Amino acid sequence: MIEKKRSTAANVAIAIICILIVLIYIFPFYIVGNVSLRDITDLSSRLLPTKGGSMQNYVKVLENSEFWTSLVNTIVYCGLEILFTIPIAAIGGYSLARTKNWFSNMIRSLNIMIMMIPGTALLVGTYGLMVKMHLTNSLIGMALLGAGGGMTGGMFFYTTFTTMIPVELDEAASIDGAGVIRTYFQIIFPQLKAITVTRVINIIIGCWNNYLMPMYMLQKGSKFTLLLYVRKLFTGQKVQSVPLAFAGCTLMVVPILIMYFSLQKYIIGSQLDSSVKG
Amino acid sequence: MLKKRKIKMMLLTAPGLLLIALFVFVPLVNGTRIAFYNWNGYGKTMKFIGLQNFIDLIHDARIGRTTINTLIYGIGSCVLQNVLGLAAAMFVNQKFPGRNTIRAILYMPIMISGFVMGQVMRYMFVYDNGVMNDILFYMFGMDKINWLENSWIGVALITLINSWQYLGLCMLIYLAGLQGVSATYKEAAAIDGAKPMQVFFHVTLPLLIPSITTAVITNLIGGLKLYEMVVGLTSGGPNRMSASLSQYIQILYFDDERAGYAAAVGIFQFVLILVLAMPLNRYLKSREIEA
Repeated sequence: MIEKKRSTAANVAIAIICILIVLIYIFPFYIVGNVSLRDITDLSSRLLPTKGGSMQNYVKVLENSEFWTSLVNTIVYCGLEILFTIPIAAIGGYSLARTKNWFSNMIRSLNIMIMMIPGTALLVGTYGLMVKMHLTNSLIGMALLGAGGGMTGGMFFYTTFTTMIPVELDEAASIDGAGVIRTYFQIIFPQLKAITVTRVINIIIGCWNNYLMPMYMLQKGSKFTLLLYVRKLFTGQKVQSVPLAFAGCTLMVVPILIMYFSLQKYIIGSQLDSSVKG
Repeated sequence: MLKKRKIKMMLLTAPGLLLIALFVFVPLVNGTRIAFYNWNGYGKTMKFIGLQNFIDLIHDARIGRTTINTLIYGIGSCVLQNVLGLAAAMFVNQKFPGRNTIRAILYMPIMISGFVMGQVMRYMFVYDNGVMNDILFYMFGMDKINWLENSWIGVALITLINSWQYLGLCMLIYLAGLQGVSATYKEAAAIDGAKPMQVFFHVTLPLLIPSITTAVITNLIGGLKLYEMVVGLTSGGPNRMSASLSQYIQILYFDDERAGYAAAVGIFQFVLILVLAMPLNRYLKSREIEA
């Protein structure tokens, strides 16, 4: 391809667009950070940098045991959902990749169908089911529910990437007399390490931010996730303090943003991959 | 022997299918059944009332406005995200220093819960001490606007902010597509004297149709299911006038204790999504060409 040299005007235009994008996308984060440093009595414009700001709101959140409980709950919830989803989705995807027939086509259409079902439409049926199975106020219940909802997507994802691994590899292993499941987890699954990491990241982001189902399934304070704790700061206080809520919000968002920026190339790269091949 | 192995292979999907059956199909079937009953959501008494919930749905004055809102959220976000997402993808597909940072920034809001984003945005648009009103006042000397008290402004804001937040996803889908479009086609067209606009509409865009299918369908369905942003930003207010169907179902079930009717609205929403997304999906798929 012939590389054309860009004119100065074009370069200036690119720079201006970049600055605009950064401003538009960083602005809400600036407001949240700025306001979180204030005292509740400070009613000056939220636009202006806080005068004499302090970390008192952060201290208040960090000294609250509810914050720590909800943080631990969120991590447990993420961990359980990964545990329930990954092995089952991976082995299911392997099966679908190797048996290309009506069955795998059916799962493909099922995936699109399930995507179209609104979460709230399932709400009425789900709530009753969870009560019957004694899985309300249970992180295991939430994780199972999430694993079930994300299973078609997960299986499908693994199917796509397993197809790229040559069949000869599992044939060679099966001749040695190893069972199908053992063959899979010893030979094939390690090949999909990078893909599994992507999936795990997606599950973490999903659980961290899941709102609808936890709100109804986890009503006991001791089972709250971080998001439910932050929601309480926003809506459930006797004296509502926006700075305090914004501090809680920041503490919830920072870990996920640290993960995002440290694995950024990885997340974006794999997203690019899966949308091409998917 | 071979057949036995094949059946064994197919059995490996059993645990996954079991989870799907239990946590997707049982609630779906159960919810559908409840739609034919009069039930408050927790009591022991459930009365079979046939199609009464669906008849109520037709006569429900709120359904009309809620459906219009849902369509605006669905179609509006879909159009905005696709146009802006494609533009963003073409922008970051150019070579310039810092383009990876711009990509990362555009994708960043997706990491944040829609509910939290909505709550934060509420304080941008509140009347008193709201950030937008301060900008209007300090920078342009304009009067304050009561953004969230007007349901149409609320609906527009929800659509805009939702599009802003999830634009990165569209960008990535199109970026993947653009990287698959060989430059030789574009160069050949340019040598034949096509103007940049013509190259875009007659070469790039047709080759991008697989990406368009993915991006359009995902965003349309996502917008028609919109829930968290609505709850976070306006709580469906004022007076439930900016509610989406998703949120209306939740209000009906938990606040109004009309589980049967909520289930019926759920079926209505599912059918609405199906009727809009399926033909569109088929149409776009038929336009895909082999490159």
